[in-house]
Amino acid sequence: MDSLTLLVFLPLLGALVVALTPRDAIALQRGITFTTLLAVCLLGLKACVGFDGSSAACQQVVDIPWFALPAGGSTVPVHFKLGLDGLSVLMVGLTALLGPIVMLSTWGHITTRVKEYTIWLLVMQSGMLGVFLALDIVLFYVFWELTLIPLYFMVGIWGGERRLYATIKFFLYTMAGSLVMLVGVILLIYLLKTADIQALTEGADRLGLTRQTWLFWAFALAFLIKVPSLPFHTWLPDAHTEAPTSGSVILAGVLLKMGTYGLLRFCIAMFPAAAIGAAPLMMALGMLGIVYGALLAMAQYDLKRLVACSSVSHLGYVLLGMFAFTQAGVRGSVLQMVNHGLSTGLLFLLIGMIYERRHTRMLDQFGGLARVMPLFALFFTLAVLSSVGLPGLNGFVGEYLILLGSFEPQPWITSVAVTGVIFGAIYLLMATRKLLYGPLERPENKALSDINLREVGLMLPIVVLFFWIGFAPNTFLSRTDASIDALLARVAKARVTLAAELPREPDHR
Amino acid sequence: MNPQVLQDFLRPESLWALAPFSVLCLGAMLVLLADILPGTGVLRRPLFLLTIAAAIVCTLRGFSAPEATYLMGSFHHSHALSAWTLLFLLSGLIAFEFGQRYYREEAAFLAEHDVLMLTSIAGMVLMAGAADLLTFFIGLETLSVPLYTLAAFRRARSDSVEAGLKYFMLGAFAAAMFLYGAALVYAATGTISIEVMRGLGTTLGEPLALVGFALIAGSLFFKVSVFPFHFWVPDVYQGAPTPVTAFMATGTKAAGFAFLLTLMGQNAVNGKPVLPESAAWIVGWIAVLTMAAGNLGALVQTDLKRMLAYSGVAHAGTMLLAIAAGWHDTQPHGAQDALLYYMAAYVFTAGGAFGLLAWLESEGGAVTVESLKGLSSRKPLLAAAMAVFMLSLGGIPPLGGFWGKYLVFACAVRAEMIPLAVIGVLMSVIALGYYLKVIVAMYMQPQTETRSFALGSRWAAAIATGLCALIVLAIGLMPNWVLERLG
Repeated sequence: MDSLTLLVFLPLLGALVVALTPRDAIALQRGITFTTLLAVCLLGLKACVGFDGSSAACQQVVDIPWFALPAGGSTVPVHFKLGLDGLSVLMVGLTALLGPIVMLSTWGHITTRVKEYTIWLLVMQSGMLGVFLALDIVLFYVFWELTLIPLYFMVGIWGGERRLYATIKFFLYTMAGSLVMLVGVILLIYLLKTADIQALTEGADRLGLTRQTWLFWAFALAFLIKVPSLPFHTWLPDAHTEAPTSGSVILAGVLLKMGTYGLLRFCIAMFPAAAIGAAPLMMALGMLGIVYGALLAMAQYDLKRLVACSSVSHLGYVLLGMFAFTQAGVRGSVLQMVNHGLSTGLLFLLIGMIYERRHTRMLDQFGGLARVMPLFALFFTLAVLSSVGLPGLNGFVGEYLILLGSFEPQPWITSVAVTGVIFGAIYLLMATRKLLYGPLERPENKALSDINLREVGLMLPIVVLFFWIGFAPNTFLSRTDASIDALLARVAKARVTLAAELPREPDHR
Repeated sequence: MNPQVLQDFLRPESLWALAPFSVLCLGAMLVLLADILPGTGVLRRPLFLLTIAAAIVCTLRGFSAPEATYLMGSFHHSHALSAWTLLFLLSGLIAFEFGQRYYREEAAFLAEHDVLMLTSIAGMVLMAGAADLLTFFIGLETLSVPLYTLAAFRRARSDSVEAGLKYFMLGAFAAAMFLYGAALVYAATGTISIEVMRGLGTTLGEPLALVGFALIAGSLFFKVSVFPFHFWVPDVYQGAPTPVTAFMATGTKAAGFAFLLTLMGQNAVNGKPVLPESAAWIVGWIAVLTMAAGNLGALVQTDLKRMLAYSGVAHAGTMLLAIAAGWHDTQPHGAQDALLYYMAAYVFTAGGAFGLLAWLESEGGAVTVESLKGLSSRKPLLAAAMAVFMLSLGGIPPLGGFWGKYLVFACAVRAEMIPLAVIGVLMSVIALGYYLKVIVAMYMQPQTETRSFALGSRWAAAIATGLCALIVLAIGLMPNWVLERLG
């Protein structure tokens, strides 16, 4: 079997095996799940290492006919088609890498109904890898929706006190966007008589600007809700706060990136002319997200909610850089997607660890933890510094590239967005101070034990990547460059076409 | 009797074309006979199953038969008719399997139950195959009269009798409406044959014919439970015995839509709609309003059966959208393919859901969302099956319901009815609100009621539930299994 097919189906196979185990065999279920996810991780990383960054074409393509859909007098074949390109390669790597890490973290906080949880975790992994690998729009949509159900159960069963509210809100928000996208998918297939994403990307140019704009927004709505961008962000803090640690890590690490990935793959690549028109608005939304998310985060007492709000802020950067249509901006965006997954993922892992020990996340309950938990303090500080963008760590590279790339097209919006860097440093460092430093007063805190070997082990790969991306970002960026250049060439071409058409417009009247 | 009709009937190809119908009638008589003759009561169940099996075999053979009109132009056999017939038979089979041991004090009258059900299926076949208005009316009555009785089958219970009576009163009203409409259409066009009407052109646009078609459409809307003719649905569905509800929700709806498709010219090669084109957007808005009425009604229900009844209204609205798109659809038979797929998924999804409900109900009264709390830890497989049905009804891939929804909205998009498609998909977000409520109760909330659902050994129901859930998943993963058999 091809490695990409295996990548998508191995977790599902694991889920089937787990389903056959007896309910009480918790160790067995954990073992199977971890082994499966580790195998998927190795396969995924192998696929990413073997990826040739000098070509913009899709690589390691798997193409199997699936079925045919009617589309106005003819049928459109739908394929089970997977492949890697520069836009998806880092996302696939990130998803594969986080799998076993997330599984290891569940040892601490998932103690009831373990069997069901591991099944959902595996199904989720299949769905997420499928979203990033799919090269057929119908297949993409199926995987896109498939990722909803596992998280719905994860939050709803193993979540915090307001889990039902959070999970239903999450589901309905995302579904509303997805269904409007479904109409877009149907229309696109009908107009272009193909479901192949590459063919659609080539053919969408032929559609008029009005059609492109409508389609752009049908897709963009779904992705903006998923990112989430202002004004659709309100489901995120609730979902994050109520989700179990591993759910939060998946949500922050991968699920939100599906939105930004979708914007790149569909909205910008397929409808560049419409994207050019929407760019100022999108960048403004990104800027608003950066500032508003940071202000929200400053007002939080719950550590997890604080990090959730910071996600809104960090993803604002991705949106800002992506719609700048400069090489630096888009490269920064793609890298920032990985960075956010790593640093926010690590923050959620750490918050989960402290919550497992203290059963609270309220900042005023803590102080001076660095004295009793030095290792925890080290990792937490690293995660925070990566998140605020300290040079030498990964966050800096992404944010710097984005701001550099966005300044030229939109100097004013970018100037306001830069304040987010300062706000980010304020709320994250303030939270660090309240949590780790100051007097160690409460007796409950004095009795806390430091993180154990399992916890160090699961965080180590993330920290290694912090430094790797910080010092040698080209290892990662070089794989994306060809695809980003191809994407920008499409935008540039659309800009020329638009400019050529504009003066002629009075003639039509 | 006109000897020519008999001669026409006895030709081999027309015998084969009408075979499913004849087999069902014959089977109904045999079951009745087995009930009367002493000592043959045990044959009831095998005879019913044998009849269905024989009818299925005849139907499958019909798939390869050429398209033609029989019985002096009153019965139209087509590929699609075989597909519809298959759905009616499966719908009846599911209802029958879940009906085993559902009835208690009425168990002595099960033979009548089975006879009525077979007769009703025969009526459906006649409705779907009708090529003129009169044949359709006979089919409609053959379907409806047994159903009125079946709805009131639990005669010891007042809500069942109420359901039967209500259904009868309103059904009679709808039948009268149809007859009046048919009379007006005949007065305007001078024919009852739909084939002849297709060739009439502008005559169909005359006011008399328009009023007639409006009345006919109204009576069909009543049968398929479309706004504003849907008010009987919650009461009747809730009061009727649950297996009968499953049958009504799937089979009757399918038969009504099959004839709507005939009127839309979808079942004939190069068929044209006889309904006026100006109705396209009106029907479209009715479809959207039906979705709204169904979904908003379901949102506030706590009784699961009533919730599913309203959900059935919403699904009728979705299906009607494909009909509304039929005038401008660029795909030949687009609406028919979409609805056949939709119905194929719906027969197993709603049939399974109502059936599961019947199973749970037989352990003590109505099933509310409250009583389902914590079901997943007590009955994991049952809860999983219910979750599959709910997610499929909500149209979540990769389950069967998703492709049905996709195909219907694709019809609307092809017909350039994009605003309706967008409102329609947003309606299904509302729908998820109540489907999720069921899953939330089963999986995410602790048990509050002491009812244990100590389900006895009900192999028929267990196997039917499992098969329904598996089929819903299978046609979701492999939609080509159904799609390839449509065209």
